[in-house]
Amino acid sequence: MTVRTVLMIFTVAMILVSGGLFMRRLATLIRVMKGARPAQRTDRLGARVQSVVEHVLLHRRMFRITYSGLLHYLIFSGFVVLLIDIVETVGEIFFPGFTVGRVLAPLVDIWVLLVALGILMALYNRLVIRPARFHGSDEKDAYLILGLIAAIIVGIVIHDSFFPFVAREVLHVADPVARSHFLGWALSRVWLRLGWTGPTAASIGYAVGYVMDMGVVLAFLAYLPYSKHFHIFAAVPNIFLRNLGPKGALLAQPPEDTMAIRTFNDFTWKDLLDLYTCTECGRCQAVCPAHAAGQPLSPKMVILKLRDALNEQLAAKTVGNADTPPIAGQVISQDELWACTTCGACQEACPVFIEHVPKIVGLRAALLEDGDIEANAQKVLVAWDRQGNSFGQPARKRPAWAKGLDVPIKDARKEPVDWLWFVGDFAALDPRVQRLSQLIARLLHQAGVDFGILYEGEVNAGNEALRIGEYGLFETLAQKNIQALNQAQYQRIFTTDPHSLNALKNEYQKLGFHREVRHYTEAFLELIETGRLTVRPLSMRATYHDPCYLGRWNGIVEAPRRLLERLGVELVEMPRHGVQSFCCGAGGGRIWMEETNITDRPANQRIREAMTLPDVHYFVVACPKDVSMFSASVTAMGVENALRVVDMAELLAVAVGLETAEDAALISS
Amino acid sequence: MKIAVLMKDVPDLVEDLEVEDGALPLDEMSFVPSEWDDQALEEALLIKEEDGADVTAVAVDTGDVDTMLYTALAKGVDRAVKIVGDFSRSLTNRQRAQLLARYCQNERFDLILTGVQAIDDLDGQIAGLVAGLMGIGHASVVRDVHVAQDRVRFVQEYSGGKMAEFDLACPALLGIQAARKPPRYVTIAKVRQVQKSAEIDEVEDSVGETPVVTVRRLYKPESGGHAEMWGDDVETVANHIVAILEEKKLLRG
Amino acid sequence: MGHILVVAELENGRVSDPSRELITKARELGEQVNRPVAVAGFGPAAADALQNLDADDAYVVKDDLLAEYHPELAEAALLNILQNPTDLVLVPNTTMGMDLGASVAARRNWSMVAYCTDLAIDGETVVARSQVYGGKLAAEVEVPLTGAVVTVIPGSWPSDGRRGSPTMHEVSAPSALNMTRRRVIEADAGNDVDITRADILVSVGRGIQDPDNLELAEELAAALGGMVSCSRPVVDAGWLPRSRQVGKSGKTVKPKVYLALGISGAPEHLQGMKDADLIIAVNSDANAPIFDVAHYGATADMLELMPILTEKLQGRAG
Repeated sequence: MTVRTVLMIFTVAMILVSGGLFMRRLATLIRVMKGARPAQRTDRLGARVQSVVEHVLLHRRMFRITYSGLLHYLIFSGFVVLLIDIVETVGEIFFPGFTVGRVLAPLVDIWVLLVALGILMALYNRLVIRPARFHGSDEKDAYLILGLIAAIIVGIVIHDSFFPFVAREVLHVADPVARSHFLGWALSRVWLRLGWTGPTAASIGYAVGYVMDMGVVLAFLAYLPYSKHFHIFAAVPNIFLRNLGPKGALLAQPPEDTMAIRTFNDFTWKDLLDLYTCTECGRCQAVCPAHAAGQPLSPKMVILKLRDALNEQLAAKTVGNADTPPIAGQVISQDELWACTTCGACQEACPVFIEHVPKIVGLRAALLEDGDIEANAQKVLVAWDRQGNSFGQPARKRPAWAKGLDVPIKDARKEPVDWLWFVGDFAALDPRVQRLSQLIARLLHQAGVDFGILYEGEVNAGNEALRIGEYGLFETLAQKNIQALNQAQYQRIFTTDPHSLNALKNEYQKLGFHREVRHYTEAFLELIETGRLTVRPLSMRATYHDPCYLGRWNGIVEAPRRLLERLGVELVEMPRHGVQSFCCGAGGGRIWMEETNITDRPANQRIREAMTLPDVHYFVVACPKDVSMFSASVTAMGVENALRVVDMAELLAVAVGLETAEDAALISS
Repeated sequence: MKIAVLMKDVPDLVEDLEVEDGALPLDEMSFVPSEWDDQALEEALLIKEEDGADVTAVAVDTGDVDTMLYTALAKGVDRAVKIVGDFSRSLTNRQRAQLLARYCQNERFDLILTGVQAIDDLDGQIAGLVAGLMGIGHASVVRDVHVAQDRVRFVQEYSGGKMAEFDLACPALLGIQAARKPPRYVTIAKVRQVQKSAEIDEVEDSVGETPVVTVRRLYKPESGGHAEMWGDDVETVANHIVAILEEKKLLRG
Repeated sequence: MGHILVVAELENGRVSDPSRELITKARELGEQVNRPVAVAGFGPAAADALQNLDADDAYVVKDDLLAEYHPELAEAALLNILQNPTDLVLVPNTTMGMDLGASVAARRNWSMVAYCTDLAIDGETVVARSQVYGGKLAAEVEVPLTGAVVTVIPGSWPSDGRRGSPTMHEVSAPSALNMTRRRVIEADAGNDVDITRADILVSVGRGIQDPDNLELAEELAAALGGMVSCSRPVVDAGWLPRSRQVGKSGKTVKPKVYLALGISGAPEHLQGMKDADLIIAVNSDANAPIFDVAHYGATADMLELMPILTEKLQGRAG
């Protein structure tokens, strides 16, 4: 038997075995995905293709970390070129005389070098740089995969180096691209010197290279769907199937029965695909405020633990059984689940568009159904149900901040208004923020805006109730608000609180409320740009904190910046800004929960981040919860004199001349 | 073990209490389950989970007690019973106790749990009143209730953190201070679902003669407002503090 | 004419202060409505403890089992004592009062008034003032003088400390049929630091300035028999564990005394302690919001105050 027959048998056998294993695994995964909840993810083809181009071909999110992006790009591109090699290698054995030509052949060698560089960079990354985000990842698997890729590229060079001799001595065909494979050609000079050019030596040498290349490639095929490197196959569909709906909508549709996730059948099929797409890169972990605060949560570990548990259940054929160990509380601990601020930084960082937050919230809902919830958060749920606000204040007191104010505030339920202002819990009831609400009222009055509020008709928007996992309460609150909103006559609607904004804009759609909702920063920008409000520029330097539910979840990052510019504020950006802002730690109901596990509060970390900026003494916020969180941090850290937390409304008030800088505490004492 | 949890709702203290003509306009006020009754309910559910028990939540229909009872069902009691009749929000505790005692007597519960107190039990706490009327063993200010066959073991809190563990033969009634765990949350969806699938049993009764206390008036006690200030002299302040603690009998003797 | 009977509690062999307060009031009422005063006491030490109280009669049940409160025995004993003509029963609103008051009223079909903070005679009627709705309202109620039980909140009025020599009656001890006390658990047994259980909290805020100063707070808390708690900045600084934090993100506490030292009173903090029975705030800023919820306030230097206060308290105790 010649080397050709051996390798042909080997190749066919490997294809059958590996392909069989691959297909079997694929069938298993498709089956479990079919048993899961539905999700509509095949609409808007154009946008989906575009996102694949951006995030697969161009690696947009990957390049947010330049070094990792580059090394991944090198290895990733190698996989594309690997196709040329596979075609060539299989071709030259199965169809003697086949060649890919002198143009494509050297590309293989070039990419072997690039991939080799990528591997070296990856090793350097893992062995020397050691980013913390890899903590908890299966690094053995990473090294195994890097080793396999190295074996493939070494195999390529080896079989290319022996092929000229095999072609001549065994196959009796010409090898017109021998020199084009410049790496192989260079190595073949060594074999010449060693005299390994006869039919036997060359055949053995070639077979070794062939097995290292094709054997490993085909073994890879069998191994992949069982390893994290399934992302090679899953990433493209996962990016294609990403959520293109309103980003801030936690649920696209009202849940059929419950939003609680108890078994793997309660996830959507896309959630399950997410699990097999994760590459354990840990970018989510690196940006997670709960993780940074020292809490037990890591979005990456949530995905990995879920995947491992699902794999176990797949092996034991127990998927969907009610008697499997509970996912919420056991696979993922209660502490992990309640630590999440739902800030969405993880999802924003994920290069393959895994959606962590809906999974965590669905698991929270399961805990909640079993009555397990952090005690302080439970009080808030009860307060929302009874009084409609998180402060446990009588509903009557909601508009108390508006009393005794020298500007009239219309009751939009009783008379038509141009602008309806949805105030929100904190803006209405937190003593620190009430003052800012009064400022906003005076600013609107100054601009001659015909505006009103819903008075006692407004209750908490329900954004956090939903994110705590209490859909029924969210729905109750939303329906109360929608009823009041339907009763009111208004042209436009805006909110102070980004969390309310998110609920009204994105979550209320599924309950039949479709109005364009704006944030007060957008509203005031318009008032200034249309000349209704005249400002005297402030000439000050400040940094701006993007609230998660404004920037990341709703993409409103430009309006506040343009507003700052209009106000004459020289903006100095923190390293993490825009959609990559760092959460204050308040979201997802966290603001009400005990901070027992926290070693370093996210808000304090954020203040420290701002304090590294040169000559910046103002920290501008545009969210009532941020006012509360960051004021508390600055006081607790004792840095009130170095950094002042100011709300956009205070800057507006001074720029418009409603208040002096002293009133607004804009001058350091 | 057959357990009853006696529940009532009370005015929500979150709302300001507006006294009109020396009385509360009870019909216009919002009511919430008495927090200690919630503790009793939780303890009963924990007992059920630990040792198995058949738990009935009982309330007198003085207004809208359905939500409270459906919530108890959603939390896991086996049945909910509403004592119906011509009762108003101004039903006194003595009257309530009479109705509850009569019901419990008929049903022969092994163990009856209820809150140690409620914010409105001016004429006596339900726990003591019902136990007295039934003439059964009882204790108040109780926590950590465990059952075994026809006996119940519990801890009673004395003052100053001192406690004692007791063992009591059933039938018994305990006034619960706090459950072992904070009362569980029940989702709105679950309550709604129970409202559709479960029913509240109704038992008819009417109030008989009970001792009464005549309430002349309700009124707001003198308000606090700003602190009474003692100035900044350390010596004076220290003396003031010692004096006031002494006056309040809070100093170690 | 029946007695006005005070059910006295014993603490370390001595009649408790709340019980003494009731005797003072019983005498005062008794003089006005012409009723003799009786006092009931339980346990082996009762005879000694009751013999020089300002009462006409003293009923003692000497049973050893009643050395500590025993619900079943105490109730049976009280019912025995009530065989003697009695018009009005006063009980301190402690565990005993919560236990016996309502059940005895129910058994005797008597009237009952709970959470009483004052008792006075108005013509021929006894009028009680009661605390209801979590102290948000007071009720003025008429107490019939022909069979009523009143449970009284300790500290509602002072005791006059008058002595007397009641006629002593020994009442035979009933036997416990259904209830056995298995053990008494002493106050500090197994109690880790749980600030929600403390009667007195010495709570420190940023005014503590340095972790070394915490020792001063610990010493003060020890002198008061309380615990040290704190506001958030102290925890954030890592000076005290989170389990000590009072406030929205920490624990909600309801102690008898909350001594807020160097705490300005952020809304989050107030939320966790505003329901304390007595709040004393010391803060250098006279405008600090803590003074809006405090009953007493001072602008003294907390670091100076703590050792002086500790010394005064120790001097007093020693």
